[in-house]
Amino acid sequence: MSSPVSTSEPTAVESVIPAPLIQPKNRLRLSLVWIVPLIALIVGGALLVRTLLAVGPRIEIEFRNAESLEPGKTEVRYKEVVIGRVESVSLRDDRTRVIATVQLNRSAASIAVQDTGFWVVRPRVALAGVSGLSTLISGSYIGVDAGTMTQPRKQFIGLEVPPFVLRGEPGRSFVLRAPNLGSLDVGSPVLYRRTPVGRVVGFTLLPDEDELSVKVFIESPYDRLVTPQSRFWNASGLDLTVSAGGLTLNTQSVATVIAGGVAFEQAPDTVKSSPAPANAAFTLYGDRRSAMAPADGPAQSLRMVFDGSVRGLVVGAPLDFLGVEIGNVRSISLQAGAAGQRFPVMVMADIYPLRFGKLRGLPGKPPASESESTLALLQRLTDSGLRAQLRTGNLLTNQLYVALDFMPPSAKSVKPGKLVLLTDVEGVITLPTVPGTLSELQPQVAAIVEKISKIPFQDIAASVQSTLGQVNTAVALIGGLTPDAQKALMGVQTTLIEVQRTLDSAQATMKSVDQNLLDERAPVQRRFEQTLLEVQRAAQSLRVLTDYLQLHPEAVVRGKPADAPVQALPPVTPEKVTDK
Amino acid sequence: MSALHHGTLLGCECCGLVSRLEVDAHHSICPRCGEALHVCKPHSLQRTWAYLIAAVLAYLPANFLPMMSTSSGFRRSTHTLLGGIAELWQSEAWGLAMIVFIASIGVPILKIGTLALLAWSVRYAPQWRQKERARLFRSVEAVGHWSMLDVYVVVLLAAFVRFGSVASVKPEPGLLAFAAVVFLTMLAAQSFDARLIWLTKKASAESLLRPALS
Repeated sequence: MSSPVSTSEPTAVESVIPAPLIQPKNRLRLSLVWIVPLIALIVGGALLVRTLLAVGPRIEIEFRNAESLEPGKTEVRYKEVVIGRVESVSLRDDRTRVIATVQLNRSAASIAVQDTGFWVVRPRVALAGVSGLSTLISGSYIGVDAGTMTQPRKQFIGLEVPPFVLRGEPGRSFVLRAPNLGSLDVGSPVLYRRTPVGRVVGFTLLPDEDELSVKVFIESPYDRLVTPQSRFWNASGLDLTVSAGGLTLNTQSVATVIAGGVAFEQAPDTVKSSPAPANAAFTLYGDRRSAMAPADGPAQSLRMVFDGSVRGLVVGAPLDFLGVEIGNVRSISLQAGAAGQRFPVMVMADIYPLRFGKLRGLPGKPPASESESTLALLQRLTDSGLRAQLRTGNLLTNQLYVALDFMPPSAKSVKPGKLVLLTDVEGVITLPTVPGTLSELQPQVAAIVEKISKIPFQDIAASVQSTLGQVNTAVALIGGLTPDAQKALMGVQTTLIEVQRTLDSAQATMKSVDQNLLDERAPVQRRFEQTLLEVQRAAQSLRVLTDYLQLHPEAVVRGKPADAPVQALPPVTPEKVTDK
Repeated sequence: MSALHHGTLLGCECCGLVSRLEVDAHHSICPRCGEALHVCKPHSLQRTWAYLIAAVLAYLPANFLPMMSTSSGFRRSTHTLLGGIAELWQSEAWGLAMIVFIASIGVPILKIGTLALLAWSVRYAPQWRQKERARLFRSVEAVGHWSMLDVYVVVLLAAFVRFGSVASVKPEPGLLAFAAVVFLTMLAAQSFDARLIWLTKKASAESLLRPALS
């Protein structure tokens, strides 16, 4: 069927084979197919360039351990935006820490600067709240607090706990000086009118000042509420107050009861001023009452020596001056008595002279120093009879307090003569004391008891007993007399019966008299009434007769004329009643 | 286009009709079905080379870019080709790792290498082991049907595993690049004319070879 291709002349079979149609020449020598690799090249190149551009710096972060850090998986997030990924986790050369190598994105390259902080976000459960819950499911990631500096950095030390204030967070930090931390912790809320406006971000113990410095952060715009007049207090726990108004339970919020918290408020009687500058220092008071109290100023030490037991007096017990608390007991210690038999108790107290108020400014010349003015004041008061005395503040618990009160000069316990108060080398003023009310009461009670014990109860009892014996014999004698007496009494009784009978008959007689004479129905009375009626009628007719005769004297001679006939009266019409 | 010379017999690839050229022509079509007629596939080597180069270019991102991303829970992880194989290997799924390795890495590389060898040998070693080269080409074509396996797996997973935030699978750009590799190697294999293997110096006396090589 087929023939060799090289045949030059067409055979019979070949003549039926048609000739192909001819098309014009395509001049393009290079195939268009080369566009395909070109496109691949362009796309690949674009991808490569994009990938290269997206790759940012590679940094190393040191952590204490590699807990929940997975190479290739753990992300680095800033404001929840993924800006990088942990590439590898390796041990440091000295094997004390781990180093996580992180590949940052190009867009976040500027984050790796000197003061940037990194920490691992793991679920954290604390009393103040739960954070990082989403990491329970999604796995941990590395959080970033972007720094503000410009110098780039490659090696970082990771933070073990997340920072509580992120840079750039609007708000202000303040420093609170506190004697103790209470139940505060990092993360405890700061409340203003029971609204959380910030949180405790840290605290440090200052060994030099023996004080705590608590750092709080108030979020914007509430940071403006903090003025130089603001007072901070520890709002932890419950504040149960028993007052004349009843039982008052004062808390800030349930959270603060458990987790503690700080509350602040404008001091009373102050005008609202401009906000306090950032990092301003405040005092953290123990409770709201002391925070709101006027400023105390420097304390002045007082020494008081009491003779007798101070049971019921505790450190911190108030010093009361006419009902105003001016200080607190600082320490109580025993002293060796001079006589060796009595052991006076020395009580040291701190008073705040500013609490005396205007009392301090009385003398004319201004004192040289605070301590001198206090001394002068106390001297003045002591001259007037001021003494320290232990008094029972609470009968139930037998709690004592130190009362500074004016004793009458006549009081036995007040020694006559002028006392001169002195400030000793330690700056302590010793105040004279008088025995407490209770210790005053005790000898009096003892005296009464003694008097009572002196009463000769035994003698009295003996004489009473003898008297009773005599009474007894008398009663027995009376018992011996009775038969004769009984007879006499019976005679008396019969006589009395006779008298009663006589009286009864007399009464009956009187009764009949009464019925016959005085009763309305008695015939005598009735007849008498009828007679009187007749007399009345007679008098009436006599008066008619006399009247008639006066008008008609002629009737005596002529007699009475005949009566005129009776005429009918016209009908009476009722008059109209009109209102005026 | 290549010039066809007078008297050449041309078989139609579509309907099988054999026609003879009466005059010299550049381009001819089958008188029965209209299919283009040529002694060899036009620009066969050029096309093969172009597709091969494009496939190599696409092969790089196919390996470096993630192929697919799986998210389970709130955790999203992306997988590259080699990374996935390494994961399978590490989790001691040796067999599966081998299958994925052969299907996704071995076969494309072999295909590209084989086609490159064939295309090279046409010009530089035309007489070298012609039968083996022909067998090689046939096997390349046969394997080509299975090359899209990876792509199908990912696309099926992406279609089926859709449970919102609980679990989902999404194809990533690497898959596109991988599909391009497979597609381009198939095109390269298709555009390579096996007849070129048999065009030796002796056979090329017909002057048919020159246009095919141009």
